[in-house]
Amino acid sequence: MKKRILVIEDEEILLSLIKKKLMSKGYDVCTATNGEDGFRLIEKEKPDLILLDIIMPVLDGFEVMEKMNQTSDLSLDKIPVIIISNSGQPVEIERAMNMGIKDYLIKTDFDPDEVLAKIEKQF
Amino acid sequence: MLLDATDLCFYLNGMPTHKKDQINEKIFSKKQLADIEKKHRAETEKISKLLFKRDLELRKINEALDEKINQLEKSNGKLEDTKDILEIRLNAKTRQLREMIDGLDQEVRVRTRKLEDSQKALLNILDDYRIEKNISQAEKEKTIAIIKNMSDGILIFNNKNVLTAVNEMAIKFLNLGKIEESTYRKKNVSDLIKIKSFKSVLDIVGSEIKNVFREELKIGDKDEFIEVSVSPILINDKQIGKFIILHDISREKKVQALKTEFVSIAAHQLRTPLSAIKWTLTALIDGDFGDLEEKQLTYLKKANVSNERMIELVNDLLNLSRIEEGRYISKLEPTQIEDLVNAVIEEESLRCKKKEVRIIFKEDASLPKVQIDKEKIKLVIQNLIENALNYCFPKTDINVNLSHDKKKKELEFRVTNQGIGIPKEAQERMFNKFFRAANAVKTETVGSGLGLFINKNIIESHNGTIWFTSQEGKDTSFYFKLPTTKVKVV
Repeated sequence: MKKRILVIEDEEILLSLIKKKLMSKGYDVCTATNGEDGFRLIEKEKPDLILLDIIMPVLDGFEVMEKMNQTSDLSLDKIPVIIISNSGQPVEIERAMNMGIKDYLIKTDFDPDEVLAKIEKQF
Repeated sequence: MLLDATDLCFYLNGMPTHKKDQINEKIFSKKQLADIEKKHRAETEKISKLLFKRDLELRKINEALDEKINQLEKSNGKLEDTKDILEIRLNAKTRQLREMIDGLDQEVRVRTRKLEDSQKALLNILDDYRIEKNISQAEKEKTIAIIKNMSDGILIFNNKNVLTAVNEMAIKFLNLGKIEESTYRKKNVSDLIKIKSFKSVLDIVGSEIKNVFREELKIGDKDEFIEVSVSPILINDKQIGKFIILHDISREKKVQALKTEFVSIAAHQLRTPLSAIKWTLTALIDGDFGDLEEKQLTYLKKANVSNERMIELVNDLLNLSRIEEGRYISKLEPTQIEDLVNAVIEEESLRCKKKEVRIIFKEDASLPKVQIDKEKIKLVIQNLIENALNYCFPKTDINVNLSHDKKKKELEFRVTNQGIGIPKEAQERMFNKFFRAANAVKTETVGSGLGLFINKNIIESHNGTIWFTSQEGKDTSFYFKLPTTKVKVV
């Protein structure tokens, strides 16, 4: 069965590029451009992995993760999350790591191929 | 009158001879006279002999006397000499004694003067002492006033861990105003830990008041934070107690949060267009949108290199903004440095593959944990390995070594590549901000000239050293050394 990946990213060009890359590798991809829509899709789609941006309108990445931790649906908390952000200060990385993320990637330092390699490691 | 012969002889001897003869002839017969004469002669002879003998004796006595007189005269001479010598000696002695007395007099005068001086000096010292005592009393009062009015909270304990003094700020931080002073004053740590207000601080320092350095503690209900540190109170290297310092960092925390937010936004704003360009370019170059002509590909690759250079610059600027913040080394924790090296090598594996370069990592067995700021040291290792990769020739090996000098208590990291090297004239300026060697600029690789500057700052903040050796066009080795003993943050 195809693995389903949810990409929550407000920068549309990045979103379309990574979506294209993932689909070409055979993943089932759904997308959201803000945290709120993203969380709704998490609840609805229950993806196998989430690529999550941090700085986004409405709800930011941290708030999305907090909601995942707080919800009564315990299965959400187990979905692996890989952060793709353009800000990666040690305090932010530490905060995200403490929330149980699998990896923290800075978008300028990783191209879609490298992001893909990180995703593949999770399966 | 009747005379015997002998008397007569005597009598006759005193007379003139002719008279004597006349008498003799009248008194005595010739024979008698002859006898008398004979007798007289014998007597005379006897007397002569006696006289002679006496004369001899007298002469001897005289001689002896002369000799005695001589001897006496001689002795007298000697005695005179001795007397002279004794007189001279006596005079010398007298002189000596007089001089001695004079000297002693002088000495007594000098000593007296000295004693007078000493007395004066003592009086001066006494005066000075009084002044010093007043000064030290004033200083003591000043010190107490300083401690009392310090913006940091201070708790002073004696060697038996009994709380002897608390200042105003400590009372404020620990909210001691609400409880009776008698409940905590002169109380031992073991009693204090039972008081709610003291618990959070004493949980950090423990019942033995161990030395801690800037341990963060949240106090009160609001966003108030203090840093707890313990320092021994030493007088001439002898510990007489300890004090706990409570430093308010609420403002710093707020500023730090604002700064994190600002840097986060700045990073986001700067990187977002760069990541969009990077992802688009790589997709195009990788042929995700169909095959491209060679010329198109060449220009896209060039654009990508320029973009990478910009990304690198932004990364370094963001690091720099943290390094120049002052509190760059934020958290020291015991770390196995080889874990960081392995993580970096893993992260660089894709780039290695592209350049067909192998990274060979050799480490000493049982390396110790080192107290470091993990993120920062990882940044250094990453930067050095990336540099080695950027400036090495394709299809070569990069050697990474990690060794432990147990005697010197140092850990040494080394990374060696075979590549363009560092020209001699550039070597002095390698750790300068924004400096890049001419041969590095000429190569296609990206670089901001900030990496080594940042590395040097990080390593030196850990009390370490960083250096390199290089032969242009051949090889370069970068080294850093860190103390394995507890690092004091610079």
